[in-house]
Amino acid sequence: MVKMIQKTTAFERIVHLLLALSCLALLLTGLGFLYQQELGWLNTIFGGVHIARGIHNWGGIVFIVSLIFSLGTWVPECLKWTSDDSKWLGMLGGYLSREKDKEIPPQGKINAGQKLLGIVVFISGVIISISGLILWLSVPSALWVLIHNVCALLFAVFVPVHIYLATAANPGTFRIMTRGDVPLYWAKKKHPKWVKEIGAG
Amino acid sequence: MANGNAQQKLSGTDVVKARKGLMITPDLCIACRGCQTACKQWNKLPGDATTNSGTYENPPALTAHLYNQIHFIEKPKDVGIDWLFVRRACMHCGEAGCMDICPAPGALFRTDEGAVAFNKEKCIGCKLCVAACPFDVPRYDSDNKISKCTLCSDRISNGLSTACAKGCPTGAIRFGSRDPLISAASAAGYTVYGEKDLEGLGVMFALKGDYKEYNLPQPTYHAGIALWNSVIRPLSVIGLGAVAAGALIHYLTIGPKDVEPDETAKKGGE
Ligand code: HEM
Ligand code: SF4
Ligand code: SF4
Ligand code: SF4
Repeated sequence: MVKMIQKTTAFERIVHLLLALSCLALLLTGLGFLYQQELGWLNTIFGGVHIARGIHNWGGIVFIVSLIFSLGTWVPECLKWTSDDSKWLGMLGGYLSREKDKEIPPQGKINAGQKLLGIVVFISGVIISISGLILWLSVPSALWVLIHNVCALLFAVFVPVHIYLATAANPGTFRIMTRGDVPLYWAKKKHPKWVKEIGAG
Repeated sequence: MANGNAQQKLSGTDVVKARKGLMITPDLCIACRGCQTACKQWNKLPGDATTNSGTYENPPALTAHLYNQIHFIEKPKDVGIDWLFVRRACMHCGEAGCMDICPAPGALFRTDEGAVAFNKEKCIGCKLCVAACPFDVPRYDSDNKISKCTLCSDRISNGLSTACAKGCPTGAIRFGSRDPLISAASAAGYTVYGEKDLEGLGVMFALKGDYKEYNLPQPTYHAGIALWNSVIRPLSVIGLGAVAAGALIHYLTIGPKDVEPDETAKKGGE
């Protein structure tokens, strides 16, 4: 039997699932609005532009709630930035070659790239939420539209990278989202500082 | 250049076959408001209850049921006052911010005659067009759907003139092809407001004085939307393409990072 250790709690997995589903729905409907000429068909798939607007507005509420509940789990991790993290980012986590795997600096519970994602998601998440509520509930200024759209583009670039890295690029990682546990040998390789921290090694 | 831009934008006028428009001459307006009535009649718009605010201007602004309003400007002079009467309505901008920002396909569209018309069925009531309009035009009905002048698209596509121009007894509102309207106004010694601004306004003014005296704004495209069109939009396409292509190429060349159980077990697992 492979020894497993727990990386996420059930609560964290539910919150992450809500965050992921709402964020994807928001991204797809939002891109359908933003590029209505080229991507308007996305909203046809969602059942037409009126339903898409409902999904985008109420999905936004789900997103905001799950974002708030994510903060407690991930912000403290994201703030633990060390020189190992800077080094990791400097070599892009060793993703660009297989040769340097041995030189990858040891990482904590989440690696520097994941911290970067967390920081981007939280900062632009707060801004996109506030601007989104303003767009929804008032007759807005076009400046809020610009702010909302720039944040949306950050998500549109970071989220697919995150999904790729959490699935196809790193076999075994997806299980953290669905079951929450990882093999000890896997954790030792990917997150050695964390394994030490919780004394599981 | 201007053409290249217009093609990129939703609001481009390249679909237009023969651009029609209105020439408004405030000097000829006697404020009878025949245009307001004719517009309401043609577009079957109900009256709005208004209150007396101490001016003859009535109603005081556009509403969801008033596509066209005569604005009263009172200028004190030595004896008595001077009146200026300025028609307010959608300007059918060549470069129309409302169309470029609208997220709902077909809610706002450019007609063959160059008018900016709307389809309430497709409007989702987001009010972004209000944010983008430099002339404070779009209004909302009780269903939260856009409501504004359509340049009588349903009339002009059938060869008729607009209802407001037809209802105007003095020629202060003239309907026609855009270019002849401009030449006629220039020949009569007027300065034309809106000839070139925003790739040409569909509704222009023939003025004797400065446009500011008529409370007309400097026609400007919203800087935020311009920045979006010119810089951020192209960047976003590059960014999204790079992400998709990058992930695919990474997977196919360098490949996923597998972690082999025995590899670390050897190295120091317990
Ligand atoms: C649907 C596709 C998604 C998958 C498969 C996925 C997968 C994962 C996994 C496996 C983790 C745990 C990583 C670890 O602990 O090592 C994680 C964490 C996280 N996810 Fe996702 N996710 C998805 C969508 C999203 C979306 C749309 C967002 C943003 C709104 C998001 C935001 C986060 C954040 C902030 C974390 C915290 C740690 C980190 O930065 O990696 N995820 N995700
Ligand atoms: S005046 Fe306003 S509503 Fe009319 S076309 Fe121009 S931007 Fe659109
Ligand atoms: S309110 Fe209607 S017409 Fe105006 S931008 Fe939104 S969908 Fe388009
Ligand atoms: S063009 Fe038609 S819709 Fe526009 S103000 Fe005149 S009468 Fe009304």
